Amino acid sequence: MSSSDGGDDGSASSGAGSGPVVLGSKPIEDGFSQLRVTDLANGGAANDGDGEAAAAEGSGGREGIAAEVGEVEDGGAASARAGGRSEIEEIGEARVMWRSNSEGEGEAQGSPSSSGYAGERGSSSGGSGIGEEEGEEEDEIEEVRSDAVSDSQAAWMPGKRHVMQDDASISWRKRKKHFFILSHSGKPIYSRYGDEHKLAGFSATLQAIISFVENGGDRVKLVRAGKHQVVFLVKGPIYLVCISCTEEPYESLRGQLELIYGQMILILTKSVNRCFEKNPKFDMTPLLGGTDVVFSSLIHSFSWNPATFLHAYTCLPLGYATRQAAGAVLQDVADSGVLFAILMCKHKVVSLVGAQKASLHPDDMLLLANFVMSSESFRTSENFSPICLPRYNPMAFLYAYVHYLDVETYLMLLTTSSDAFYHLKDCRMRIETVLLKSNVLSEVQRSMLDGGMRVEDLPIDPLPRSGSLLPRLGQGRPVTDSQESLKEAYAGIGGPAGLWHFIYRSIYLDQYVASEFSPPFNTLRQQKRLYRAYQKMYASMHDKGIGAHKTQFRRDEHYVLLCWVTQDFELYAAFDPLADKASAIKTCNRVCQWVKDVENEIFLLGASPFSW
Amino acid sequence: MGLSSVASNSEGMQLCIFDLRRGQNEGQELDKILFFYPADLPFSTQLSVIGLSEGLITFTRIFSPEAACEVIEAERHSHVFFEAEPDIWMVVIVEKNKEAEAIWRVEGLRKVLKEVHSLFLMFHGSIRSLLEKEPAAGSVRSQLYIFIMDYLSAFEKRSPLDYCCWDFLSSKKLQLPSFRDSLKERATVQMLTVGREAAIEVQSLVRVVESCTGSQSSHSLLLFQDLLVSTTLSPDDTINLFTYAVLRLTPRALSAGLSSWSYLRKGSAASTAVTGPTMGSAASLSEPFHGSRGTSAGDDHSHAVRPLQHDRWSKGRDGFLITDIWQAEPASLVSVTPSIWLQQTEEKMYLCAYQHKSLTFILLIPVSSVINGEQGILAVKQLVLEHASLKMLKVEEKLSKGWGGENAYHVSGYRYLLVDGDRNLSRASPPGKVATLTKDSLLALSKLREEVDIEKSRAKWDNDGHEKDLEICTRARNNAWVISQVTRGKELYMVLENANETLLYASDAVQKFSNRYCNGAFSLD
Repeated sequence: MSSSDGGDDGSASSGAGSGPVVLGSKPIEDGFSQLRVTDLANGGAANDGDGEAAAAEGSGGREGIAAEVGEVEDGGAASARAGGRSEIEEIGEARVMWRSNSEGEGEAQGSPSSSGYAGERGSSSGGSGIGEEEGEEEDEIEEVRSDAVSDSQAAWMPGKRHVMQDDASISWRKRKKHFFILSHSGKPIYSRYGDEHKLAGFSATLQAIISFVENGGDRVKLVRAGKHQVVFLVKGPIYLVCISCTEEPYESLRGQLELIYGQMILILTKSVNRCFEKNPKFDMTPLLGGTDVVFSSLIHSFSWNPATFLHAYTCLPLGYATRQAAGAVLQDVADSGVLFAILMCKHKVVSLVGAQKASLHPDDMLLLANFVMSSESFRTSENFSPICLPRYNPMAFLYAYVHYLDVETYLMLLTTSSDAFYHLKDCRMRIETVLLKSNVLSEVQRSMLDGGMRVEDLPIDPLPRSGSLLPRLGQGRPVTDSQESLKEAYAGIGGPAGLWHFIYRSIYLDQYVASEFSPPFNTLRQQKRLYRAYQKMYASMHDKGIGAHKTQFRRDEHYVLLCWVTQDFELYAAFDPLADKASAIKTCNRVCQWVKDVENEIFLLGASPFSW
Repeated sequence: MGLSSVASNSEGMQLCIFDLRRGQNEGQELDKILFFYPADLPFSTQLSVIGLSEGLITFTRIFSPEAACEVIEAERHSHVFFEAEPDIWMVVIVEKNKEAEAIWRVEGLRKVLKEVHSLFLMFHGSIRSLLEKEPAAGSVRSQLYIFIMDYLSAFEKRSPLDYCCWDFLSSKKLQLPSFRDSLKERATVQMLTVGREAAIEVQSLVRVVESCTGSQSSHSLLLFQDLLVSTTLSPDDTINLFTYAVLRLTPRALSAGLSSWSYLRKGSAASTAVTGPTMGSAASLSEPFHGSRGTSAGDDHSHAVRPLQHDRWSKGRDGFLITDIWQAEPASLVSVTPSIWLQQTEEKMYLCAYQHKSLTFILLIPVSSVINGEQGILAVKQLVLEHASLKMLKVEEKLSKGWGGENAYHVSGYRYLLVDGDRNLSRASPPGKVATLTKDSLLALSKLREEVDIEKSRAKWDNDGHEKDLEICTRARNNAWVISQVTRGKELYMVLENANETLLYASDAVQKFSNRYCNGAFSLD
């Protein structure tokens, strides 16, 4: 998907026009890729021309899967889909057509047999990605080890980069983490890097691997090669693939593919499957036109947002009364036919209520928030848009009224009725008025500035029960001199006993709280590494086969990590690698106590989305 | 489709070797296949297994040119890859089945592939060099087939008291190392702890025996029971020869052979006991391939040397072990002294093994240094008997006295595996003790080892110049502590089922163990 319809036309045809020139400059690379594609299409028929150069590199690869695709067909093995081979051929043809002239593009463009909203999406991004300088890109090319680049605090820019790359280019191959969505006939739907149309051949290869194993009565989950993992997820007619050389465990990568699929369902609903039932070669790309930014921002969140693997949401720290006030006004509108009313600030929940018996899954909240935050159009005006909550009901659209109350705070009102716009607009105005009057919005902004829990503030002595995180709210504890001086002593080295960071997840509430990053986690790179370490710990603790472990202590060159899983909560804590075990354990107990002491402010209580 | 037939084969194991440089042209793909188990799978099925493997090797090289496909995990099968020699790949496919305890650790399976290949190298030289000598590959295939089937076959059921369970075809079905073998490490050597005095005597014995050969470059390996006492070989060669000795030469291996059935003698009766496609009779063994392969199947095929064949070693009257595996000419009845290739020096060596009670002394003499063949060997043996037999007796006595028996290395309260990667050594709780662990503990340990395997391989590729340093203590659902520590090339795996509740208790237990048995290698300063 390119970022806009217009851009799609332009870049694609110019790409096609300049194709041969580019190819000429990289005969070996292209020869190789072409070899594979041709093989796939023709069942290993001899290939001449620039294939010669490739033979050296690709060595015996020519028969490989290609020959086997033919074999599968000859054997008449039962195949879930019809005519796999002819589809591959078609893709091969499409690629050939693209190579020779731009007519192929016209066909690929097709007519977006979609409802009007797809076009609306198209306008949402504005091609911010193309030609963007890299800035802080979270998954740089493997060999780029320059700390200067990755440590820079520059904001991450949404949108697709490196559109001009394809599988023939070395830099494309060296990307640390690829994500692909393709259809069961091998048609590309989304690729994180590179132009989907140019990746048709590559996409067909992925399809061939999946269906080859599938035809044998099995399902491929993972391929490991050196540092690389190739993770596959099949969702009906939709195939999702991640190719990664990050250290993330299989379970995490698979969870990320699930979320990407969920994001797609959120935009289209699962009824898109019917299109494939009618026409296996159905081209989905027009339906998703312009949603690049949604996917790329979701993928970006895989490297900083713990909600993506904890399956829990986090709240903005707020005084209990303030959150109560927000909840009350949301509850009012929920009683008037709104299914869910959610007030969020960035990815943090201020308050949320649901109609009776309706429950909202944390993953749905993540995907919805990501969709809203990544689409520019939501920021500029009030919006009424069909969305689907995959965990709530993957088959049906809901309608979301979205309005930003300030730069970061937005209100989402979800309903089942497609003509509720004016009603919801009224609701919003009522809510906005109340929030302004009761100072909720200014408290929200203040909280964003103040941040949440900091390891340096971990109380040494047990707090009185009325402990508060938010001294400014007037309920603060008296700060003793000794506490103050300790705080200074910890400056730059985290909290007591070498505590650097923690995440606490309440199981009943489906919520988590993570401490703010303090030194030594100064850079995004360090933060991401810690995030990945937590992710690994989470996967290690939650093994599906043998059940969750209870405790884990893990020490490597970067950290001491402690994890504690009980029926009520999970605690993940990171310490200095030289931390003493005994005092680390004590500190973890104190963190748990601290969280309990301030739970009124950091969690949304009494409103667990699952508990109605 | 290979995989569907895996499903139909309830034993669910396939093993193949293929050469990517062969069969490049359409229609000649069969030529790639050098070995396939089970051999009676249709060629189309074999080809599709190899097609998938080859396809993924090519595919993964796009992103990971330095390391191609290592494993394919599918819902129901694991495909484990090993590039034994450049472009010569071994792939084993196992079925996953929770009920049947078919839960595998990938690295454990890969070690099996490595082991069978290393042993093949020792007896036959590299597959590539054999292929270069014989492009038609007919006898290479026979050799591989016979060798690997002998390797896979078993002569006895597993006994929990066995020190090393090297054989997999345990009477009914293949038993590849599963999660139950998580406290074992293949491709390592188990040493006997020897006192100072005994060590000096061993040294002098080795010196005397090696001097009997009259060659500077002879080598020796001394075992007590199934444990290594002394070696003058390179580490790799030590592992290979040690593995072979424990499989076929030590007193336990010899006696196991005597008491069990032999499929050769029992013929078809034995082969029915082995489910699935088996080796059956010797005739079918030597003809695993159809004529359509285009191999000019010569007579020599049926006389390929079978060093791993069972019941072919016995103790001679003079104390030297004898075998009729190696023969002067095909079909002749004259046996000759066995010979092996050293990996390190690529030198061909005669293998003579002397046994006294629990002691097995293996002497390797360069073929080039023995002038008149069998007679020369006989002379050396004579010299050894004259000069060293008394010493052997004394050493055996001394070692026997110091030997604590089967449970000598049991540490009460602990179930452990200690691996010294630099020296290729391992020591573990005796199998009988490991067997007392619950399934949950063993599963958790297997999982943890898998995790550590990935971390280790990752560290290898990152190649930051420093070795992985890692400590993981997990309290599993059943409250057992499952522990792994990796530091400076040493690895410790441990299960503590009777541990007190706390993490501190568990770490304390590790510390004590480390200080007492590992010279503090895993202690914190």
